[in-house]
Amino acid sequence: MNGQYAALIIALPLISAFFIPVIKAASKKAVMPFLLLVTLLQVVVAGWLFKEVYTSGKPIIVMAGKWQPPIGIDLYIGHFAALFLLIIAVISFFTAYFSMKSIKVEPVDKYAMLFLLLMLGATGMIATGDIFNLFVFMEITAITAYALTAYNKTGEAAEASMKYMILGGIGSSFFLIGIALIYGATGTLNMAQLAQLAGNINPTVAQVGLALLVFGLAVEAELFPLNAWAPDAYQAAPHPVTVMFSAFVVKAGLYAMARILYLMQDVGSWHSVLRLLVIMATLTVVVAEFSALRQNDVKRMIAYSSISQVGMIAFAIALGTQSGIDAGVFHMVNHAVVKALLFIGVGYVGMKLGGTTLEDFEGLGRKMPLTAFAITVGSLSAVGIPLFNIFWSKIRILLAGVAAGYAWGVALILGASVVEAVYYIRLIHRMWFGGSGERVSESLVLGAIMLFLVAVILVIGFYPNYIWGIAQKAGADIFDVGRYISNVPLLEVGA
Amino acid sequence: MIHISVYYFGAISLILIGLYAVLVKKNVLKMLIGLSIMETGVNLLLISVGYISGRSAPILSEGVTPGRAVDPIPQALVLTAIVIGVATTAMALSVAIILYEKYNTLNVEEMRRLRG
Repeated sequence: MNGQYAALIIALPLISAFFIPVIKAASKKAVMPFLLLVTLLQVVVAGWLFKEVYTSGKPIIVMAGKWQPPIGIDLYIGHFAALFLLIIAVISFFTAYFSMKSIKVEPVDKYAMLFLLLMLGATGMIATGDIFNLFVFMEITAITAYALTAYNKTGEAAEASMKYMILGGIGSSFFLIGIALIYGATGTLNMAQLAQLAGNINPTVAQVGLALLVFGLAVEAELFPLNAWAPDAYQAAPHPVTVMFSAFVVKAGLYAMARILYLMQDVGSWHSVLRLLVIMATLTVVVAEFSALRQNDVKRMIAYSSISQVGMIAFAIALGTQSGIDAGVFHMVNHAVVKALLFIGVGYVGMKLGGTTLEDFEGLGRKMPLTAFAITVGSLSAVGIPLFNIFWSKIRILLAGVAAGYAWGVALILGASVVEAVYYIRLIHRMWFGGSGERVSESLVLGAIMLFLVAVILVIGFYPNYIWGIAQKAGADIFDVGRYISNVPLLEVGA
Repeated sequence: MIHISVYYFGAISLILIGLYAVLVKKNVLKMLIGLSIMETGVNLLLISVGYISGRSAPILSEGVTPGRAVDPIPQALVLTAIVIGVATTAMALSVAIILYEKYNTLNVEEMRRLRG
């Protein structure tokens, strides 16, 4: 099949999103099933891309309108993008089903539209090969995320959304200034050509530009000090939306950060930017873990835990070594699975029992044993107990950190992990050994989704090597810039 | 070179004025105005990056060859950025309306239900 069909991964959600008013005019009940169908088709497309890229070992380059880069904008679906497009599609499919069950606030058709556009934004951020196109997709993601945060129309939701918007606005302005500086210095926006020309940029301009780009992306990637919006948004947003935020929106931000950083590795002042990111990432981990300890709302607590894990991924990316980025990608995969499971579980509890405070989780083992079991497995994995998936990626990040000479960062992260164990074990204790209650009926399909994610956690936990091999290939896709440049068929153009 | 640096100076001052308003003001609407000023500054900066002294607008017509026009790409970028800015502002103002309905105030210090 022609590789240009890969553009469907962007086109399908976009067309479907604007088709929703038509579906709604036909029948309001059909909107949610339509959403489910589109996400299922997206899984098929993403699965096909994954198979193509991993069997041929070559990336798929989509040239919009046959315009060759750098004149036209290209999509670059390499090992990393193929893996994450599949993860985005699968998680979206699960979330679409969860939304069908849990979203009762009207207007549902607007929700479905925003859902598809959020998925499109994250997909585009990961697939694009052009830095300004990345900005556009980032803004699509951000604006739909603002709207979805405010979807419940409560005071809290509006407040969280406003906070997110202010920080997001500052972040996107920074990102755009960074683009202006980099474009002014190189005269190109194409990522491959940018990487070719990176060595010639004045180191100071490159340093400032790169730092601004990193700061701009730090809002989406939930890095300290630009992550103040995240816990509020996670607490106030509808339950399925938090699944998407944590499982892939933040990953898209992290990927964009990693891609831009490694493309510019010929820049003279590269290591000072990396050091800045290491400090930001370590602070993210420490601050988030200690904030999580004080929380009474479980959704907010898990949001803080998610932020700390993201900090760990950013730490791995900022090491600037092949082993660091491999471990970071591995952790991204594991984090997506675990946090999707935890947020689906906690959101389902919130939907059934009407709240997500710690009191609501008293005796959950008796009320909803299946959900409680899923949350327990997710928690144990998040803490990093051996034989669960996160253990393997966490230990690789820490080893890579020591190898890169950041022993102080590793020590701080290990200390923060102890804190993480404390609040997760407190939650597990509350669920199984406290309170009492009547059995509540649990949805079979959601139970099956949760059990599937539990199975993925355990399989990766027992046989980490298969996914580790994939993560290494995906990591090499980011790290090996020379191959990235040679894969993009750049047209020679005169200045 | 002198008038080029005037544009940069103007753009960066606008960005800083906007940033100041966002960080210091307590009223949501004033913060949003600050955000808009900041976006305008960024757009001006982008345009100045592509500006070449003494050349005309990048519309190829009689007497204007590619060598005599300014760089068109930043102008295309700014068009996109303006559209995105409009969308963000519209979204933000509609959220501000909900905030005012729920809290009866636009002061950020009086609307803190989410803490920690």
